[in-house]
Amino acid sequence: MSESARFVRNVLVKAALLFVAANLLFAAFNPLAWLGGLSLYNGVLPGRLRLPFSEEPQKAYNLSLNSLEAMFASHVLTAAPKPADELRVLLLGDSSVWGFLLENEDTLAAQLNAAGLQAPDGRTLRFYNLGYPTISLTKDLLILDEAMRYEPDLIVWLVTLEALPREKQTFTPLVQHNPGRTRALIADYGLAIDPASPDFAEPDFLERTLWSQRRPLADLLRLQLLGPAWGATGVDQYIPPTYTPREEDLPADEDYYGLERDFSAADLAFDVLATGVQRAGETPVLIVNEPMFVSAGANSDIRYNFFYPRWAYDRYRALLAEEAARQGWRLADLWQAVGNGEYTNSAIHLTPAGEAQLAAALQSYILDSIPSSGE
Amino acid sequence: MTQEIQSKLNGYITAEIMKQPDRTLGADEALISGGLIDSFSLVDLALFVEETYGVRLDDTELNAQTFDSLAQLAALIQSRM
Amino acid sequence: MTLNQIGLFAALGLLGGALGARLPRRWLLLALSVLAVFWLQPATPIRNLDFWLPLASLGLSAVIWGLTLPAGTPLTRRDATAGLVTLGLALGVALLRYVPDACCLTASRPPEVLPVSLVLAVIAGVVWLTGRGFAGQPWALTARVGLLIGLFVVLKYEPLTTLAAAGLRSLGGQDASLATAYDIRWLGFSYLAFRLIHTLRDRLTGRLPHLHLDEFLTYAVFFPAISAGPIDRAERFQKDLQSEFRLGGGTLAEAGGRLAQGLLMKFVLADSLALFALNPQNAAEVQSGGWAWVLLYAYALRLFLDFAGYTHLAIGLGLLFGIRLPENFNRPYLQPNLTAFWNGWHMTLTQWLRGYVFNPLTRALRGRNWPVAVIILCGQVVTMLLVGLWHGITLNFAVWGLWHALGLFVHNRWADFAKGRFQLPQRLAAVGGALLTFHFVALGWVWFALPTPELAGRLFRLLLGGMQ
Repeated sequence: MSESARFVRNVLVKAALLFVAANLLFAAFNPLAWLGGLSLYNGVLPGRLRLPFSEEPQKAYNLSLNSLEAMFASHVLTAAPKPADELRVLLLGDSSVWGFLLENEDTLAAQLNAAGLQAPDGRTLRFYNLGYPTISLTKDLLILDEAMRYEPDLIVWLVTLEALPREKQTFTPLVQHNPGRTRALIADYGLAIDPASPDFAEPDFLERTLWSQRRPLADLLRLQLLGPAWGATGVDQYIPPTYTPREEDLPADEDYYGLERDFSAADLAFDVLATGVQRAGETPVLIVNEPMFVSAGANSDIRYNFFYPRWAYDRYRALLAEEAARQGWRLADLWQAVGNGEYTNSAIHLTPAGEAQLAAALQSYILDSIPSSGE
Repeated sequence: MTQEIQSKLNGYITAEIMKQPDRTLGADEALISGGLIDSFSLVDLALFVEETYGVRLDDTELNAQTFDSLAQLAALIQSRM
Repeated sequence: MTLNQIGLFAALGLLGGALGARLPRRWLLLALSVLAVFWLQPATPIRNLDFWLPLASLGLSAVIWGLTLPAGTPLTRRDATAGLVTLGLALGVALLRYVPDACCLTASRPPEVLPVSLVLAVIAGVVWLTGRGFAGQPWALTARVGLLIGLFVVLKYEPLTTLAAAGLRSLGGQDASLATAYDIRWLGFSYLAFRLIHTLRDRLTGRLPHLHLDEFLTYAVFFPAISAGPIDRAERFQKDLQSEFRLGGGTLAEAGGRLAQGLLMKFVLADSLALFALNPQNAAEVQSGGWAWVLLYAYALRLFLDFAGYTHLAIGLGLLFGIRLPENFNRPYLQPNLTAFWNGWHMTLTQWLRGYVFNPLTRALRGRNWPVAVIILCGQVVTMLLVGLWHGITLNFAVWGLWHALGLFVHNRWADFAKGRFQLPQRLAAVGGALLTFHFVALGWVWFALPTPELAGRLFRLLLGGMQ
């Protein structure tokens, strides 16, 4: 064998051995969650004002990923221990809370912060945006579960019917890629979710190797690398100059997830809502039925909007009120709290003015919900 | 002969380009890559060589790859005389 | 080049090395380079242009080869073989149109075989006629330099590119109103044109050695260097081609090192920095001076790592095939002054311009008895303007070129003034000089990165004072 061939062989053999060893170690120790907690945010980089989410990282300086650890580590909520003069309020919900098509200063959290609310004991209410796009109560529950580590004093949970159908519970990436956390909640609280659902991503040993996990790893790295651009610009969402407005004319479709007209609370994921309240423990939870657009176009006699046939939504509202009364939940049904002109590209996404109306409507409920001093 | 060329080049470069007439350059000292002669003075050097020895240095030859020291430049000149 | 393309080229290099001397290297390199021109050409919205542009690169090179032959040189069998091999490969690429499973080497389905054959025949005829009738004719050589510069201007000046795109679109029966400058992305033309002008000009001065057609074509479109340089010189390239080559351990280790370094610099570091490097979008959004400097530093590093990394890859691949391409970078950001920076940044382009623009111009002006400072200023301004416009004929690139011309002039005058008068302590000169030089260059990148004076102005205000 020639000198050069030997050299090549040695290099290749050593490289292959190193590659295999690194992969086996990675799969054995599965350090992805630990790596997710390592973050430049809230240190070198300013923390993010909402959880990372974007399909256009280059324009938005932001990206969607499945590591709850990394998402929280990048959020300003986790920057420092709670100051003594802060009354910490977390906002949970879907893309309308996160602020789709809204700058950070126009989101619900920002509008409520701008109101400068004070508790009777003198503490200032500080609102944190923990909304996250995709509509699923179980996704909200996952976030609530993690957020409890950061000592909230009040949780405001904005929900809508679309978050309650059974099939929506596991049909969202964050839930699918965090099967361990979700299953622990199912087991601890007896949730009516199949822990063996094929929706859960279940990587086997080979799929946990360094090579197979390169995408999630790259996502962790990219989240850090997008940080300086976020810090420099304060931009975390690409807002296009124009968008298709919410639908005014609706299809003549009265079906809603195959539910019967007289469906009961058990047909929807009210148990997930109850679990959230239970998981929050001493911390009060204010449940808000979030505002939605009511169409006046074609077929608006049978449908409220793109999401809901009238009968299904009316039935849901009745059930929500019943359940709240039965289980002692604090409920604010604000489905009509915002003017019909203040919806953007969907029946639940609000304009800045719409968020301001919602914030104004919410204030009294929030002030009524805050725990008294010393609690 | 080479010695002669080298010392003449040395005289021109130190006096006219470097403005340090008392200095003596080593035969292998890096002239171009060492930053002693800038690109403008290089053209002057080429004109000097042309006038003095009747040897043409092409514009594309005025770089460190072609010659970078007194010794190399002297050798180049001699090979074309 | 993408990672896959680099991997395939490297594998071919190793395979060639393993087969050793049994393989006729020059034919392998010719074939690979011809095929790579088609393969690396990005897709364009204009129908079949991703076939015609690579073919134009080859045709243009072949015609210029014919022109640069020493007058009266007979066409040899070797040249004829090289011509036939090239024609055959181009035809083969076009024929892949009819092989559904193997289609295509080009980004989109190549044109039909009849027009391709016709064009190939015309190219062959023109090359033959040129070689016979016009070889070495000064006016023909000069006219061809003019043609190349004209093409260059069309491709680099957006309004003209758009106009050309509209012309090509209507020629192919496409909607001309949709034409944009991005329609014509001619792989490697900027580099190809400068290589070809070099051969034409050196033929004019009688310095170009005789190259066979295979050598000339391989030189012009050598696959590691086609997309982003470096710009080699024909006589140097030919020397490497003609020398005996065996892929030994030393070369292999060096090539491997260069490739590893290039991959790290380009695909890891540069691509990471790209996520927050200065660009027109974040320049309009950045809110403070401190962050503006972060974006600018990231841009300066990214630009260097990307380009220098790419050069490492090109040199590493070249080494696997026995070609030592010239270096293009020499620690540019650590140089103690701006002149030294330009001796270490995109070296093959600056050497080209020095040899073919700055030196002849300075020589000519030297005869006119102008003050030295004026001659130097003229030389720097013309040369650096061309360096700027080489990247694109726009205002911002021109300003960037002027920025450096003035910087070089000031440094030159300062150095001239300081000469023999005083000398700064060596440490201070090196460290302070490098810091000053880097920041001058970095601020210059603002012009380079941002297309409009408004954006550049906004950024400068943030960088230098924070007044908004």
